[in-house]
Amino acid sequence: MKQVLEGSHAVSEAVRLARVQVISAYPITPQTHIVEAISAFCADGTMDARFLCVESEHSAMAAVIAAASTGVRAFTATSSHGLAYMHELLHWAAAARLPIVMAEVNRALGPGWNIWMDQTDSLSQRDTGWIQLYCEDGQDVLDTTLMAFRLAEAVHLPVMVVLDAFYLSHTFEPVDVPRQNQVDRFLPPLVPRISLDTAHPRVLNQMAPPGVYMEMRYNIQTAMAQVPRRLTQYQKEFRAIFDRPPGDAVEAVQCEDAEVVLVTSGTISSTCRQVISDLRSRGEKIGMLKIKMFRPFPIALVRRFLGAARKVAVVDRNFSFGASGVFAQELRAALCNLDGHPPVFGYIAGLGGRDVTPDTLVEIYRRTQDCPTPPEESIWIGLNQEVVQSWYN
Amino acid sequence: MAPQEAFVDPVPLFVPCSRTSTEVNKTGSWRYLRPTYTEKTAPCGAACPAGEDIARIAMLASRGLFQEAWETILQENPFPAVCGRVCFHPCEGACNRAQLDEPIAIHQLERFLGDTALAAGTQAAVNERSAQGRKAAVVGAGPAGLAAAFFLTRLGFTCEVFEAQPEPGGLLRWGIPAYRLPKEVLQGEIKRIENRGVKILCQTPVTARTLEKIKARNDALFIAGGYGRPIRLNIPGGEMACDGLSFLAQIRSPATFAISGTAAVIGGGNTALDVARTLLRRGVEPVLVYRRRRQDMPAFAPEVDMALKEGIKIKELSAPIRIAQDPNDPESFPLNYELTLQKMKVSSTAINGRARVIPDGNKIETLRVQGVFTAIGAEGDNLGDFPPGANQKHLELSHCQMALQDLPVIWGGDLATPVKSVTHAIASGKQAAIALDTLFAEGWDAVATRLSACRIGSGPTVSMAAYLGGDRERRSARVVTFDEINADYFHPRARVTPVTLDVEQRLPSFAEIEQTLVTGAAREEATRCFNCGICNACDNCRLFCPEMAVAVENTARRINLDYCKGCGICVVECPRNAMVLEEETP
Amino acid sequence: MQEIRFHGRGGQGTVVASILLAKACFRAGYYVQSFPLFGVERRGAPVEAYLRLDTKKILIRSHVYTPDHVIVQDVNLFQSVDITRGLKPEGWILIDAPALPANLEPFSGFRLALVDATHIAVKNGLGTRTHPLINTAMIGAFARLLDVPPIDMIAEAIQKEVTSRPRPYVQAAQDGYANVHLFGLVNRP
Repeated sequence: MKQVLEGSHAVSEAVRLARVQVISAYPITPQTHIVEAISAFCADGTMDARFLCVESEHSAMAAVIAAASTGVRAFTATSSHGLAYMHELLHWAAAARLPIVMAEVNRALGPGWNIWMDQTDSLSQRDTGWIQLYCEDGQDVLDTTLMAFRLAEAVHLPVMVVLDAFYLSHTFEPVDVPRQNQVDRFLPPLVPRISLDTAHPRVLNQMAPPGVYMEMRYNIQTAMAQVPRRLTQYQKEFRAIFDRPPGDAVEAVQCEDAEVVLVTSGTISSTCRQVISDLRSRGEKIGMLKIKMFRPFPIALVRRFLGAARKVAVVDRNFSFGASGVFAQELRAALCNLDGHPPVFGYIAGLGGRDVTPDTLVEIYRRTQDCPTPPEESIWIGLNQEVVQSWYN
Repeated sequence: MAPQEAFVDPVPLFVPCSRTSTEVNKTGSWRYLRPTYTEKTAPCGAACPAGEDIARIAMLASRGLFQEAWETILQENPFPAVCGRVCFHPCEGACNRAQLDEPIAIHQLERFLGDTALAAGTQAAVNERSAQGRKAAVVGAGPAGLAAAFFLTRLGFTCEVFEAQPEPGGLLRWGIPAYRLPKEVLQGEIKRIENRGVKILCQTPVTARTLEKIKARNDALFIAGGYGRPIRLNIPGGEMACDGLSFLAQIRSPATFAISGTAAVIGGGNTALDVARTLLRRGVEPVLVYRRRRQDMPAFAPEVDMALKEGIKIKELSAPIRIAQDPNDPESFPLNYELTLQKMKVSSTAINGRARVIPDGNKIETLRVQGVFTAIGAEGDNLGDFPPGANQKHLELSHCQMALQDLPVIWGGDLATPVKSVTHAIASGKQAAIALDTLFAEGWDAVATRLSACRIGSGPTVSMAAYLGGDRERRSARVVTFDEINADYFHPRARVTPVTLDVEQRLPSFAEIEQTLVTGAAREEATRCFNCGICNACDNCRLFCPEMAVAVENTARRINLDYCKGCGICVVECPRNAMVLEEETP
Repeated sequence: MQEIRFHGRGGQGTVVASILLAKACFRAGYYVQSFPLFGVERRGAPVEAYLRLDTKKILIRSHVYTPDHVIVQDVNLFQSVDITRGLKPEGWILIDAPALPANLEPFSGFRLALVDATHIAVKNGLGTRTHPLINTAMIGAFARLLDVPPIDMIAEAIQKEVTSRPRPYVQAAQDGYANVHLFGLVNRP
């Protein structure tokens, strides 16, 4: 049923519908509303699940790792510093091949202390072996969370559902919440391949000597590599059951004849759709490639959609110091061995909650149009020179 | 396995996984040290004259097992509600917790357990034997006599107690004021002893003549007539002074008593304080006159503090030398007395660590008072040829004198205890019961050995539970010190403070000053106890054992020596020293 | 698309007002998007919330800079907050006031509407005299300004959202709707 729902609660509803059995989390703004609602579900019996209160995010991840090791469906949610604190256990969850799902609300890392939107927290976890899916709107949040369980349990890798702080987490908009029997069809009960059992004791994840460690890593990549195909298949099933398309791993919007293709993720993609619609109506040749799936990085799709583009402008709401925006890096790596690939412009915008308005995107489009070749350095949009030029006193 | 999905290959999955048990590796073969569960003696229990198993009592109380905790007291002492009030609690002075923050409020716990049981009106399930056909007579229904009767009954004797007064209780009934021990509490605990089958015959004084008849009807005799005869003040006019104990007895009987103005109370013991505080509650202004200094007073320090708080003045270093009726006003009512005091001073030489005092020259002080009370000690009757001389087979025990006349006779209570206190009197009754039982079972020569075998710690205290062969007998006599407690497991926490009447509320009445703890506070206080030397099933040993060699069988823990490698972590992590690590002997 | 900005203080139910209005509009068939000013919330501090309304899916997800209308839950905010910031010419300003303010200068060029929401809240027993809960009276009044959403939809949204004792809240919304005074365009002096 369609209802006006806060983005955070779109996650909570999906977790409820997914019949998650164990949840463990530690509160942090802007993730709090997600787990508040879930803990209420657990308390009032709406969910038949255990909510484990812990003293830190590190313990929250440890708890869901333990839960998932016993073969139950487990979930957690965090943000920013909380995610950074989980870091070592993110590696553990993936290498232990546990189908954990985590909602991660993109928030800046301090200092300066900042609770607003920024993708650097999730993108700095890119090498941990987690699948990462970025959401565009409230509906996408709910659908992606359901899809995350399906994917995680199919390839035995953990999935991070990433949503923008406030732009999604605290925004109310119409969301179609499916019925339980629909979700049950899409997401059957977990049949675990790894399941500790006190009746048949065994030890998991003990020493892995050089003779097997490399193969274990190769296996993770094999599983990762299957994700695009599986996602496509599950999308078909999703559409058949819920009667709406879930988000694609990569979505090309009017790229075919575009002079400039903006590469976006998260809620910027939504605003960008409005910009495209406005500029196209005035005859401007603008397109967009929305990247939903960051891990595994959709190299084949990127090459297919951008191989023939004239100019590519990547809008990064994140930054890897000493290099560039992370999406730009990944994109260049994906395209570099392709003959005649387009020039890739890297833009940095909207860090630490700075608003990305239609005007911001128009400016990026115009600058790309006007510039024949991309500069080596990233182009930072909307810097306040007064702050940039100031000295600590 | 998850259902196969045709469109794609199954995902390979390899995680390190081992189903091999470490059972094959018998790490026990590495061991040259062996941990064992060896319970030890807690300092409180060793310090308790009655030998109560305080560490276990607190453990049970901390779990809310109040009936079981109370029964554990009853193993050793039939008077928890009384002793929780009047015992000077040497246990708390010995408590290891004092070195972390403050001692456990053991007397408050004991009182709570005693009162809770009284309120419920339950009888204790304690070790006992069925009647053996032997009869014992007890002279004196004070704490020693009643305790002896209680323990003798448990050992299978049939007991009769002879009491001169109209009600049983002895000093507890007549010598301790109600603000320290309400009559109902005492009566409740005595009633419970009677309900076990003890027969108390009141208003039946035992004289030399009746003693012979009693002897003829019985197999053994326990004499605990107490120190009923006050020591008189041997100074000019000494006969004009009132005896303090008689005064306390009068006050506790329905008879009225009329005095007003100021009164001098001579003495420095608990009775002197009881007299002074009782006078205060009757509107008299008492002055305590003591020949030594305040710190030398034999009275228990908390009682002295409370008396001072209530406003009682203490005239220290003052010895009475004369009492005279006021020559200026011989006809007045109430009578006026002149009490002449010799001022004393501390001599430079001390005897047995106690300061010696000598007269301070000719310094004299005269008090004008309306009454003089003495509480300078009492003595007992020499009923039954006490003390036993060389002419009869006799044995001097720590709390009793024992002689073999035409039947075994034991003198106990104040007549024979090293410290004249209620709890020592109870200890004396218990010692007598064990001695008599041993005498009949194993003969005269076994008595001392038997008593020694059921001692608690290294002192003279004996345990009935140990005598009857309970778990406690197996406990090591070694007393746990604070250094042996793993203090990392304990965090400072304030001792419980009982609700106490304000001074203004106390004085107009004989209401009890301290209130019994409420359930939550008692339980909370019990959780402060280290449980020195005894296992409280905290399971640290099991949790820390790296070889998982600790097994729990029927709530008891056992070391599986096939796997115990003797690392000693269990012993180190035992918070309360209930384990030992010993060298392996082949 | 219409953009509405709500002004209030932490504890006045300003964000709740924006959500209730969003839900009512959604019931009336609109696409909606509602969010608070992103940040930390403190009781008593100035609060803003936003609502976008459209007849087609709302794509833009940036902040609201040029609202079509503003709802002001506390007129004292005029002293500390720029209430008309970015407000489109002839946009509605709805304020909680018993009578027309003496100084109309701040409203010139805009359309003014007033409702005695405090009185309505107190009359319906919502909150206390010193801290009345005026938010449903305000959105009830707002429904008259645009004739969107129908007051029945607001009543339904409140019924659904307020789980305990919704009646007085619904009544306050209806009272606000019935008693709002549409003063209209304030001319420039």
